[in-house]
Amino acid sequence: MIFSYNWLQSFFSKKLPKPEEIAEVLTIYSFEAKVLKETRFLSGTKDIVLDIDILPNRAHDCYSHLGIAREISALLSLNLNPPIGGLNSPKRSKTKNFKLKDRLEIDVKEPDLCRRYIAGAMTNVKVGPSPGWLEERLIAVGQKSVNNIVDAANYAMLETGQPLHVFDFDKVSGVQNQKSKKCIVVRRAKKGEKITSLDNNNFALDTDILVIADSREPLAIAGIKGGKKAEIDSKTKNIIIESANFEPTNIRLTSRKIGLVTGSSISFENEISPALAKAAMDRATALIQEIAGGEIIGERIDFYPKKFKSARIFFKPDDISKFLGISVSGKEIFSTLKKLGFEVKKSKENFIVSGPAERLDLSIKEDVGEEIARIRGYGKIPPKAPGGLLFPVPPNDKRRCENMIKNLLAAAGLSEVYNYSFAKAGEIEIENPIAADKKFLRANLLDGLKDNAGQNFRYFDEVKIFEMGKVFRRSGAGAKFGDMIEKNKLAGLTAYKAPKPAKEIFYETKGILENVISSLGISDYWFDDSPDTEEVKTERPMAMAEVKIGNESIGYINKDSFEIDLDKLILLASEEREFRPFSKYPAVIRDIAILVSPKTKISEVLDAIQNAGGELLMDVDLFDVYEREETGRARKSLAFHLIFQSNEKTLSDKEANALMEKIIKALEDKREWEVRR
Amino acid sequence: MSKKSQMDIFQSLRKDVFGALEEAADFDAILKIEAESLGKSGRLTNILKSLKDMPSAERLVIGSTANALKKEIEEKMKEKKEEIGKKIKTEADKAEWVDVSIPGKKIKRGHLHPISRILDETSAIFESMGFEMVEGPEAETEYYNFDALAIPKNHPARDMWDTFWLKEPKDQISLNDRSKLLLRTHTSPNQIRYMEKHQPPLRIIVPGRCFRYEATDATHDFQFYQLEGLMIGEKTNLAELKGAIELFFKLLFKDKNLQIRFRPGYFPFVEPGVEVDIKLSQSLEWLEIAGAGMVHPSVIKAVKLNPNQWQGFAFGMGLDRIAMLKYKINDIRLFYSGDLRFINQF
Repeated sequence: MIFSYNWLQSFFSKKLPKPEEIAEVLTIYSFEAKVLKETRFLSGTKDIVLDIDILPNRAHDCYSHLGIAREISALLSLNLNPPIGGLNSPKRSKTKNFKLKDRLEIDVKEPDLCRRYIAGAMTNVKVGPSPGWLEERLIAVGQKSVNNIVDAANYAMLETGQPLHVFDFDKVSGVQNQKSKKCIVVRRAKKGEKITSLDNNNFALDTDILVIADSREPLAIAGIKGGKKAEIDSKTKNIIIESANFEPTNIRLTSRKIGLVTGSSISFENEISPALAKAAMDRATALIQEIAGGEIIGERIDFYPKKFKSARIFFKPDDISKFLGISVSGKEIFSTLKKLGFEVKKSKENFIVSGPAERLDLSIKEDVGEEIARIRGYGKIPPKAPGGLLFPVPPNDKRRCENMIKNLLAAAGLSEVYNYSFAKAGEIEIENPIAADKKFLRANLLDGLKDNAGQNFRYFDEVKIFEMGKVFRRSGAGAKFGDMIEKNKLAGLTAYKAPKPAKEIFYETKGILENVISSLGISDYWFDDSPDTEEVKTERPMAMAEVKIGNESIGYINKDSFEIDLDKLILLASEEREFRPFSKYPAVIRDIAILVSPKTKISEVLDAIQNAGGELLMDVDLFDVYEREETGRARKSLAFHLIFQSNEKTLSDKEANALMEKIIKALEDKREWEVRR
Repeated sequence: MSKKSQMDIFQSLRKDVFGALEEAADFDAILKIEAESLGKSGRLTNILKSLKDMPSAERLVIGSTANALKKEIEEKMKEKKEEIGKKIKTEADKAEWVDVSIPGKKIKRGHLHPISRILDETSAIFESMGFEMVEGPEAETEYYNFDALAIPKNHPARDMWDTFWLKEPKDQISLNDRSKLLLRTHTSPNQIRYMEKHQPPLRIIVPGRCFRYEATDATHDFQFYQLEGLMIGEKTNLAELKGAIELFFKLLFKDKNLQIRFRPGYFPFVEPGVEVDIKLSQSLEWLEIAGAGMVHPSVIKAVKLNPNQWQGFAFGMGLDRIAMLKYKINDIRLFYSGDLRFINQF
């Protein structure tokens, strides 16, 4: 909110420190503040405005010049004067025994939504321009001057924080059959009712909206905006001044619904104390009398069924000390709270305090603790090392695995990207998307990586990237929505700008993934053909294989990319390694070459060799694969090193030969397979 | 044989040997010359062998001449061997000389995202202070994100967190109000989630991705990372909050003279609430870096603990902002651009 330095000065007899110093003090002890600019008026006066970022819990009392002046008074120990022009010598209407109640009826139909309604009335006011000083203050804080009556109400609001409204008495429709008696009803709008605001906008009303009405129609949207009907104009002679307190939630909802935010609506939705209404009424009345003349008609009407009382807070100084971690004396508590306008009582060690009526943020001892701490200054609280027993932090295995995977991928040449969690398509839709291509939560990571590759091709010939992050999927019907939709995934992509054989890219990608999985200590992983299902066809049409650990599928691999379930992978990862003693006896190595059909999988051949080789076949190592034409058929040639070794003795040539024969026989049992001798 | 012809033999032997040595290019050639002249049946050896059959006067003259020649040849050979040795060494040296200034063989490695790096550094520091790292969901319920944290519906305080709401699929079982879904606007819901399941005393940090519905610019994005901290004990207090945060930032920025400052702040789930500013030792400016405070008794009550027994502090900081500061990154949107020109610098 914008504040005028001159206005703040008006509450103090002593000269205030420079605006920069005020801003500094407020920043450290109350609210972030800065000096905005200096304004010079035609009259020669100059003013300086400050922008003060009032914290929401102090919006109750500090959206006002008086509120900030009270802070300054407490922080700098300066005496605060009552607002100038207080009701020192009000002029009353000469008509004796004139009762306002005879001329005005106030009927609050919704006491829950309207907690207090003060109505005052004046006669013989003279509408005209505001005096220069008032106009200058309004201009300084960015407001427009309208006329002296409206300006006075506005001024009183900016000073006290209590919104006010003024109606033209004569334009208000009267009570039926009683022409001279006007009536103000605080009620819910009727369905179909409309109102034209002071600035000529039309609003359709409904029964959730509270209005200030006369006997016929709405005069104002309560707490938000006045209507045209009872507008103050140059001919206005008699006025009704409203100083009311409206329930915050209703104001907030109405303001949202009709799309209108005003200074008044902001004050009410932040909630203000009903105690403010009277002070503001006093101020506005005095100001109007000062600048527009007129006399007060009778006693004001005050509808105030439930009197507001500040909370009483009980505590001991030790409570505050324990909480803040510094020693706080009863004396410090007493003087600090007094400065802030608290009512303070003490019985022995116990304090019983209640905050000033305009402050609604003080209800528990922690609130008092905050006041003590900030007024002393957080800078005067020395930092301490956190105490108490230090428990050893259990290692976070998940995080360790994630870091290991990241480092393995980086070592393999992949860089890590972070993409937005939003996508143009997905399963979980955003109610209020921020952009057309971000209407959904992402259901996979790979789409994002593909986009990244396309963009990076402008600068790089090859793009190798990965991402670890959450995707959002819809859980099955009937399942509890909230818990089941998030999954941690890992996706990687190796893309080249220039064409490259698909197989080469595939084996590179596969190698990267295998390195990750095997480095996590997982050995029983394998790549299975993608199942021929609708789900696979629609969701991952490019998939070349399912990635499996044991019988569980953890994801899939495409020609140049993969996406796997990170949680499953980590769950299956065991870094428990076990040492296996190596044999003392030499190994015998034999080579074998086999011709098979191009569609035969290497895993089938490997299985056949291993089954036939038995325990003494320690390892099988594929070292050559090529395809060629042979007698008109396409054939695939595979060459393996077979390593035979025993833990008990040196294998003789004869024994190795016998094993080779067994393996060759097993391979030749298959049709289409041919061992080349 | 005459004395004269003997001397001629010496002359020609000397000439032959010295000539050959002059020609010799390697050790083998020298060894061959040695064998031919001084070896078992070398020319000079043979002369020396024949001395015993000569008359004594002649033996004396021929003998001394032969021995002198032998000495001369040996010396020349030694000289020659050294010369060749030197030559070979120089040649070897020449062949193995390496230009060490040539760049080594390039190993293509990938780069980790700067936020991953910051996350590692921050969690390592907090772990050393006894804080355990835990995680929570990114899609949250209204209850955990707001209500349980003393941010009721229709309260202006909610305006501090502009929220992305999720559409509820029609075929899901109907949900009560409490579990209306949104994208978490902060990591604070995990204060509740963790305390519901764990008894104090406790110390945790919760890093994670958060979302706010707001316009983007160089310092704001609708997606960002936050790090939440929570410590609850019987005496955990504001001075300790200050101590923990000060220590953390000093370690993170490796700056012993870093200063921190608390200013009044407001978050409904702490009381008092503070804004945390830091000033690096070479800097003149205070930078707003975190929000913190003492956990509000209503939060302690929300997880069914007794606020008269347990108290503590909580803090939250933007990891993007910290990464920007630490690595001098000028635009927050770079983090989520997938641009390798950016990522390859880390």
